[in-house]
Amino acid sequence: MNRQQRIASRHNLTVARLNDTARALDKAIIRAGVPQADREPFIDWTVSLLWQQYKDQRMNQRLIIENEIRNLGIRFPNGTVKKEYTTCFKLPFDKISDVSLEGAGDLGLDFDCTAAGECSLSGRPLKAGDFTLVLRYHTVEGEPASELKIPLAFNPDPRELWVNKPTSRDIIFYKEDSETAYLKVEAGEDGSPKKDIVAASQRGRSHAQEGRPRDDHFSLFHCDDSDWYVIAVADGAGSAKFSRRGSQVACERVIDHCRSLLADNMAFETAIREFEADRTDAGKRTALTRHVIDIVYQGAIKAHEAVKKAAEANESAVLKDFATTLMFAICKRYDFGWFIASFWVGDGAMCLFDANNKTAKLLGTPDEGEFSGQTRFLTMPEIFRDPDVVAKRLRMAIVPDFTALFLMTDGVSDPMFETDRNLNDYSRWEEFYNRLRQGFPDDEIGGVDLSDDNEAAKDQLLGWLDFWSPGNHDDRTIAILY
Amino acid sequence: MRRLPVYLLIDTSGSMRGEPIESVKVGLEAMVSSLRQDPFALESVNISIITYDRDVKQILPLTPLDELQLPEITTPESGPTHTGQALRLLCEKIDSEVRLSTPDEKGDWMPLLFLMTDGKPSDIQLYNEMIPEVRKRHFASIIACAAGMSARTEPLKALTDEVYSLDTVDSTAFKKFFKWVSDSIGVGNRSIGATDNLVLPPPPDEVNVIV
Repeated sequence: MNRQQRIASRHNLTVARLNDTARALDKAIIRAGVPQADREPFIDWTVSLLWQQYKDQRMNQRLIIENEIRNLGIRFPNGTVKKEYTTCFKLPFDKISDVSLEGAGDLGLDFDCTAAGECSLSGRPLKAGDFTLVLRYHTVEGEPASELKIPLAFNPDPRELWVNKPTSRDIIFYKEDSETAYLKVEAGEDGSPKKDIVAASQRGRSHAQEGRPRDDHFSLFHCDDSDWYVIAVADGAGSAKFSRRGSQVACERVIDHCRSLLADNMAFETAIREFEADRTDAGKRTALTRHVIDIVYQGAIKAHEAVKKAAEANESAVLKDFATTLMFAICKRYDFGWFIASFWVGDGAMCLFDANNKTAKLLGTPDEGEFSGQTRFLTMPEIFRDPDVVAKRLRMAIVPDFTALFLMTDGVSDPMFETDRNLNDYSRWEEFYNRLRQGFPDDEIGGVDLSDDNEAAKDQLLGWLDFWSPGNHDDRTIAILY
Repeated sequence: MRRLPVYLLIDTSGSMRGEPIESVKVGLEAMVSSLRQDPFALESVNISIITYDRDVKQILPLTPLDELQLPEITTPESGPTHTGQALRLLCEKIDSEVRLSTPDEKGDWMPLLFLMTDGKPSDIQLYNEMIPEVRKRHFASIIACAAGMSARTEPLKALTDEVYSLDTVDSTAFKKFFKWVSDSIGVGNRSIGATDNLVLPPPPDEVNVIV
């Protein structure tokens, strides 16, 4: 048989088979008693009925699968714009096909699935906002594509949301949004270098966001004749309306008071030397303590009174409106070492750091409550009513030498140390010192060159204060004697 | 990271069914979107939602704003309003979820509470018993909102000085209310620590101050 004959033979076979089927159907219709005239409408009716049932069943199948997909409860976790995002989920690929996730590409995300239905959505989101992605898939051949809407939210990058609104110069008690100082103390007659003080204060981002002023303050002083250093740092309470003034008055008053009492105080100098000569002598300790109380403790009281007076001078305000913390230290170098005395009320940190001997001595205890941000203020009268106020808040130390004396507000100490325990941990202070000098290269924030007489350090320090720490955006102030 | 815990207590009793609860949802969504635009809120605000009707449920455990996805809120056909039970659950959640300072951990900021109702507590005895318990939890601020004409303000005034009312329970009112809530949360974020009571931003026209 040639090819043509083979085709013809197959054709005949098919025709014969069809004829058989038609005859069998005819017979069945006759047996069922369908009259000749109804035969065609009956066949039409039957086919359309079955077709409808077939379609219904197909649709039901689709709905069942759609339900199943919905019940998977696919939810995409929130992401952050430009930050790597990945989420995985599983789809029953034995039941669905032609799966796509509409809108993913527009958001900068890739949608991928393995043959087994392990799907992933990943990439770096291009924009922030609330979006809806559409999961589109086919269930049953012949049915339309199914859809499932899945919401997806990308947070903005908090760093990009900050704005820096300058403080209006028209407000009462206006203060610059940032301040720096370098107190350079020239070498002594013998040529030996003397410690300098560098300080910087930067308005917090949370204040800058709303054009609110900086509430922190610092004041520095060095007496060229007596060689005393005085450093004061204060943190005006965030919600007290004139705390910027309170912190300033407190710092300035303390410096004034100490300046006048340290200029030519031979009795105090003698008391220090006599105490140093015999530290076990209780009488000499008492004599020295009396001087320290006159100078340092009285300084704190004078500061309290000065802020009170400033509040009374303002008719529209009460003392609480000037609420501020205060820490300050007086220091002087002797042939036997350094004498340091200090007073501290409030939070933040004041620490004598010695890298050579690996010690970090906290000059007091930060006042903190059970919730964040709770503290005590210089402006609270109960501070000075406390019978233990001197023991708690006044500190005196004699050390051979030190690397740096740090005074900082909680805007710096909270992000850098986080907890009380860390403040008492030398290794954390060492880490802090390294961060201070090295900066934060990942965030393009430079370090501070703490070498002698480096006046550029003040601007380096101000730049360093811009470091990033999530949730920590308070005013930041730090003064360093080094 | 230090968190600012924000607790929202929402009345889901039968009378809230339909448009009122839908309006609350719209308001909540707008509030979350608006807070996400605040960098400080984005890094510190944590939100929890407790609904109360016959049943009291924490439908959203304390969740950081950046991870937050609003859950479904459902209302029964009818039934009592168990505000007292809601306060009891609130106290339990505060005790287990809010962190206090320890030498090893920085505590959270003082929490904020927003309570919304369109009626009055059915369990008034328990409600009154819970008020001193709520006070002990040291909220930075408690803001109560009586929504609609049948909401009673007297019980709310026993809970807090900050009582507000909405004349209507439609989406405009709730949107404005929750916008104001998010502004108030912003203030909570700012005045951290320093004050005993928060100075709230002025409420919008739709929100009446009850004195």
